[in-house]
Amino acid sequence: MAGIWILGENRELTGELLTAGGELAAATGEKISVLLWKDRSRAEEYFALGADEILVLPELPEDVPPEALIPVITGEAKTSQPGLILLPATVRGREMAARVAAGLGTGLCSDAVAVRWNGERKTFEMERLAYGGMAVQKVVFRTAPAMATIPPRTFAPAPEKEGRTGTVRELPGPPPSPVRVVERKKRERTVRDLREARIIVCAGRGIEKQEDLRIARELAEALGGEIACTRPLSEEYHWLPEDLCIGLSGISVKPELYIGLGVSGQVQHITGIRDAKVIAAVNKDENAPIFQTADLGIVGDLYGVVPNLIQEIRKARGQ
Amino acid sequence: MPQMIACFKWVVDEAYIRVGASGDLDMNAVDYKISDYDKNALEEAARIREQAGGSVAAVTVGVPEATKGVKDALSRGAEKAFFIQDPSFRDLEPSQTARILAAVIQSRIPYDLILCGEGSSDLYARQVGPRLAELLGIPCLSFVQKLTVEGDRVVAERRTDEGQEVCTAPMPVLVTVLPDINTPRIPSVRDTLMASKKEVVPVRKEDLPDISSPFLETVSMKGTSLKRSGTRFTEDPGDVKAFVDTLLQKGVLK
Ligand SMILES: Cc1cc2nc3c(=O)[nH]c(=O)nc-3n(C[C@H](O)[C@H](O)[C@H](O)COP(=O)(O)OP(=O)(O)OC[C@H]3O[C@@H](n4cnc5c(N)ncnc54)[C@H](O)[C@@H]3O)c2cc1C
Repeated sequence: MAGIWILGENRELTGELLTAGGELAAATGEKISVLLWKDRSRAEEYFALGADEILVLPELPEDVPPEALIPVITGEAKTSQPGLILLPATVRGREMAARVAAGLGTGLCSDAVAVRWNGERKTFEMERLAYGGMAVQKVVFRTAPAMATIPPRTFAPAPEKEGRTGTVRELPGPPPSPVRVVERKKRERTVRDLREARIIVCAGRGIEKQEDLRIARELAEALGGEIACTRPLSEEYHWLPEDLCIGLSGISVKPELYIGLGVSGQVQHITGIRDAKVIAAVNKDENAPIFQTADLGIVGDLYGVVPNLIQEIRKARGQ
Repeated sequence: MPQMIACFKWVVDEAYIRVGASGDLDMNAVDYKISDYDKNALEEAARIREQAGGSVAAVTVGVPEATKGVKDALSRGAEKAFFIQDPSFRDLEPSQTARILAAVIQSRIPYDLILCGEGSSDLYARQVGPRLAELLGIPCLSFVQKLTVEGDRVVAERRTDEGQEVCTAPMPVLVTVLPDINTPRIPSVRDTLMASKKEVVPVRKEDLPDISSPFLETVSMKGTSLKRSGTRFTEDPGDVKAFVDTLLQKGVLK
């Protein structure tokens, strides 16, 4: 094995991966290399966070996507043979990791929530969710390098240490890419971070029209909470931003109270609220799976129930 | 007119999996389905063919029982299917599926555009599409929300973490799709009848080069129960009040 590689996309993600990498470096006695792709000025910062080496990826023209760097990364990995490569489980990180893994003929643990070095078997051991979040799959590697994508916020950011330094090396330019970026639209993050919310009202497909989200908003207001949604509402109907989608492909939350309105309770969604203290639901179908995973539920039409619920909550909170 | 391949996986419907007391997954009463987002891949290929012409071959790697899935795929607009089957193809890891698909596609199926779902609903590793592109040596556009074929290239709107990115790539190209790219059709009785008349090309393990062993070893697969007590209330005003009282008792209303 020759080192642990970290390919973070930005300072925040790199900082988190350096925590994961740092623990594994301590267990294996390996050095850490950070591949710098956008913010090349950060080399010193990353040394302070635990990097021993910085590999600088070539700068790309505006209209060339970062995926054009894949052959450079794969090529360098073939030469320097790292034992482990960590990437963030972001849109780009996922694609890059899978393509680098294919290029190297090695295994990849997607969305690893735990990574360990198994000293006895001399292999990395990782855990991830399977079957929509219903099961935890534990894998070990038969090939090298071991590779993983790690969801943002799985690890805390690495702390800065004084007086650390390391080496910097430039990697060669990429071969021409057939893909062109013709337009970029930035998404505005206007919503609050739900991961810190104390009370969450989640709108599901039982809400018939976009205007009716008002009902969920009013309930959230009465409770002093925030609104969230299931994947169909953010990703199919685009009624709410993706940052508000709870579940396997969205975010995980841990509020004291979650109330689902017209949410059926498929496992991919429920896995995102497994750490909620109290789960409540309003659903008109008494057989909806959410009643199996809720602490309390009202079987009824949300359009009739929620106005009453708002009144009672206002009374209870003395509003 | 693009020759298209839509890849799909026949998976356990996770809604039927039970978790035993010891954390074992009980698959005795499970049903199977075409993985959710692969339906979007099949639909997208059918949609493009209806608009731009061309052809659609549906391709799957699986156990012989997946023949039901092949029928289902053929009722969703593909005119031909390649069914790569073996009893040992049950718990393939993404790298194996991608290697098998690459071997079959390279040797047997001409293509301009390959469509895959974002990820499968069982493992959701989101690896097969990008791995397949890499093995075939063609460009990959992943997490696509909108796709157009323009002459010999595609224009795709991708979702990125920062927002959206519109990309172009020459064909042949591989695209993985998000669920909002289209609404998969519900096959009609006629579609289902027609599907039984369509050609299914069987490909067996013996016909393939040695697809070497997996890169990962799954050492355990432990179920976690998400079940909770589930106290029920009706929609009667008195019950709604009792519901709120319970929230107060639990100390979550302040
Ligand atoms: C790989 C994969 C990843 C996924 N990731 C996620 C994820 O991260 N997050 C997520 O949410 N989903 C995710 N999904 C989708 C998930 O499987 C479900 O399809 C989705 O959560 C269902 O959303 P829903 O409950 O809003 O809609 P539905 O399942 O359609 O449920 C609507 C519910 O509303 C009830 N209802 C209808 N009208 C009323 C009314 N008037 N009053 C009261 N109740 C009413 C119905 O009884 C029904 O139970 C994923 C799926 C896959 C395959």
